[in-house]
Amino acid sequence: MKRLAASLTAILAVAAFSATAMAADFPTKPVQAVVPMAAGGSTDLLARAVEKYWAKYSKQPMVIVNKPGGGGVVGTEGVVRAKPDGYTLYIGYGSGHDVVMPTLQKMPYDPQKDLVAVSRVSIHSVAIVASAKAPYNDIKELLAFAKKEGKPITTAVSVKAGAVDLALTAFGKAAGVNIVTVPFSGGAEATTALAGGHLMIGGGHPSEIIPHVKAGRFKVLAVVLPERDPSLPNVPTLKEQGVNVATWGSIKGLAAPAATPKEVVKEIDATIKKICDDPEFRKTMADLNQPILYQNSEDFAKFIKQATADYAALIKELNIKID
Amino acid sequence: MDIFSGLLNGFSIALTPMNVLFAFIGAVLGTAIGVLPGLGPAATIALLLPATYAIESPVTAIILMAGIFYGSMYGGSTTSILLNLPGEAASVVTCIDGYKMAQQGRAGAALGIAAIGSFVAGTVGVIGMTFFAPVIATFALSFGPPEKFSLAVVGLLLAVTLSGASIVKGLIMMATGLLLADVGLDPISGKTRFAFGVTELNSGFDFVTLAMGVFGLGEIFYGLEQTMKGELVTTKVGQVWPTMKDWVASRWAILRGTLVGFFIGVIPGGGAVISSLVSYAVEKRVAKDPSQFGHGAIQGVAGPESANNAASSSSFIPLLTLGIPGNASIAMIFAALLIKGVTPGPFLIQEHPEIFWGVIASMYIGNVMLLVLNLPLVGLWAQLVRVPFAIMAPVIILFTAIGSYSIQGQVFDIYSLVGFGLFGYALRKLKIEAGPLVLAFVLGPMVEAAMRQSLLMSGGDFTVFVTRPISATLIALFVTLALGQAGVALWKSRRATASSNSNRP
Repeated sequence: MKRLAASLTAILAVAAFSATAMAADFPTKPVQAVVPMAAGGSTDLLARAVEKYWAKYSKQPMVIVNKPGGGGVVGTEGVVRAKPDGYTLYIGYGSGHDVVMPTLQKMPYDPQKDLVAVSRVSIHSVAIVASAKAPYNDIKELLAFAKKEGKPITTAVSVKAGAVDLALTAFGKAAGVNIVTVPFSGGAEATTALAGGHLMIGGGHPSEIIPHVKAGRFKVLAVVLPERDPSLPNVPTLKEQGVNVATWGSIKGLAAPAATPKEVVKEIDATIKKICDDPEFRKTMADLNQPILYQNSEDFAKFIKQATADYAALIKELNIKID
Repeated sequence: MDIFSGLLNGFSIALTPMNVLFAFIGAVLGTAIGVLPGLGPAATIALLLPATYAIESPVTAIILMAGIFYGSMYGGSTTSILLNLPGEAASVVTCIDGYKMAQQGRAGAALGIAAIGSFVAGTVGVIGMTFFAPVIATFALSFGPPEKFSLAVVGLLLAVTLSGASIVKGLIMMATGLLLADVGLDPISGKTRFAFGVTELNSGFDFVTLAMGVFGLGEIFYGLEQTMKGELVTTKVGQVWPTMKDWVASRWAILRGTLVGFFIGVIPGGGAVISSLVSYAVEKRVAKDPSQFGHGAIQGVAGPESANNAASSSSFIPLLTLGIPGNASIAMIFAALLIKGVTPGPFLIQEHPEIFWGVIASMYIGNVMLLVLNLPLVGLWAQLVRVPFAIMAPVIILFTAIGSYSIQGQVFDIYSLVGFGLFGYALRKLKIEAGPLVLAFVLGPMVEAAMRQSLLMSGGDFTVFVTRPISATLIALFVTLALGQAGVALWKSRRATASSNSNRP
């Protein structure tokens, strides 16, 4: 009996120890990071920048797996169903399919309940741009031009009902002009069409449009954030220009399956924090035109909740439906 | 003079032992993944991206990745010719006459011509890039949604004519391909179509899986039936090298394919596929004996294979001069450069001339390497047709299954591969050419998205397709081709009826 009790205690002790040891040892094998978007896009670039510096602060490498499709749902669902041990992560948490899509359509999982937020890395705001040759230089002139011409403003956006599309539609409604958003398959295609002069204005994330601005092809009319974007410090927000619209753009962070042990989440979060503080990583991100806006696990979870609620209110106000 | 000093500087960079080594590794890897069904250059470059961080200089990294990309274009024709297995959309056309040639014991000739054509096209493409990059880049930008729609519609029409004798069969296959392409996300509204609650179908069918199933597996199932009947498909190796006659027959096809590929390949999205189609159509039209096409015409291999290689060179132009990636592989190279702190675009040539000219110079060297690498392999590959079917069939099934699984890591894709295989077998039995189906599957989403984008831009006004000069020209070409085709068909059927009437006693 005594022996049984002793061995039970031993087993319990080992179990308790291994739980803490798991977090302390983590990771003991390479960590797989799923990017549910195509390789080469802005989320993928962020993930690859994180991957590059991950090796510096972790014992094990990070392996990026691109699983595009279904607007991001397919790859994310894979993470939701993965073993919750911290070895399968999701990079891109806070994108359109996490904070916008749940309001618009039925999801195979709940982005807030089935995933646990690990850390926020960046926010990709929405910038309103026009061809450098366009006769308008800011929002006021654009609106005056539209009123004078009496024609709808054709607008290139990356995808339908994505962060960019919503921001531009909201802008049109608030400013009282007819904005016709033309969806493309991704930001690169949308900016290419705008660069060819086929549309009047376009929306895009700073990482996608800044190279074109530097090349003299685009000028930036406004940023659709509550405050100015650190990667475009000289561009006024819509609110500053008298149009009362602000959105959160596309948020980029890390998440793990909901049942992942708290210690492991903390450990990964700590690694990401170190990466976000690394001067070389900061330089890489600056080169990519992606501002670093780090948040820890708890704050990020609250932020995602807030952003989802804000988007739901906006969608209701704009009366947007997909069916 | 500027160009020459730049190019000279580029060669001095590309010829350093390290860069030559990496160009060679890229060429070898590219050839290998081109030959392996299912493994594409985009996936390979994505996998290798972390390894490139370890490479100090960005020039060396991009030389490696560029080598993989254009190397895979050389390798892509191999399986199309030998096994009727197109690895990517741009080599679907090669299957039609290439595989017929292999069955006739002329695999070596087809492979040899494909390698030489690829070399000529790749090199001419790089020369064109050296001198005309900025002009060509502006041309690429002038293709907005209406122009893309009109171009893709011409592509669809050309795809239908691939069906050989029966236009009706071609139209049926085109319609089927368009329907299959509708499965998945609606490109404009974002709504899921025809997925029937299957999550894996939310993103639609995968192109490579479809092509491998309908062509490769369908062929194997058909071969299985033939072997059971005791008929061997082919054991002849035949002439390993192209003959003098083959050269003479192909030289103009190679040059025409190169020009077509260079100009159409520069258009972002679908450029390479359409250029291979256009090249095939051009060859069929200028041929002295068009009836040879579909039955092993060497021009039907030489033209499209040259076109897709020239297109792979010219697709670098929008990236290097405008900072615009035109396809998935180029997008990966774009990403790699950005992470290395180099922004491709109009300033690249001033800010980083060593990258711009280094890459171009390495492409001259890489193309020579690929020729030297691939020509001896022709003899080796040609021996493959001697491998008994009983060994070959399971190996191909295994490789295609791995290939389709590796694309998205979904078991579902293996099931759809088998489904498409059975479908391909049925088509084979019904003597229906599957080319139009597979090509319509690629072009369909382009037609749909471009048309709806154009109409959104014009406020629903259809004249947008005929009031813009490039689009109007393409539409005029479409109408001429369609009417011409209909006229020929009508004339043939009249003559056929007339002759069958006169034959009646």
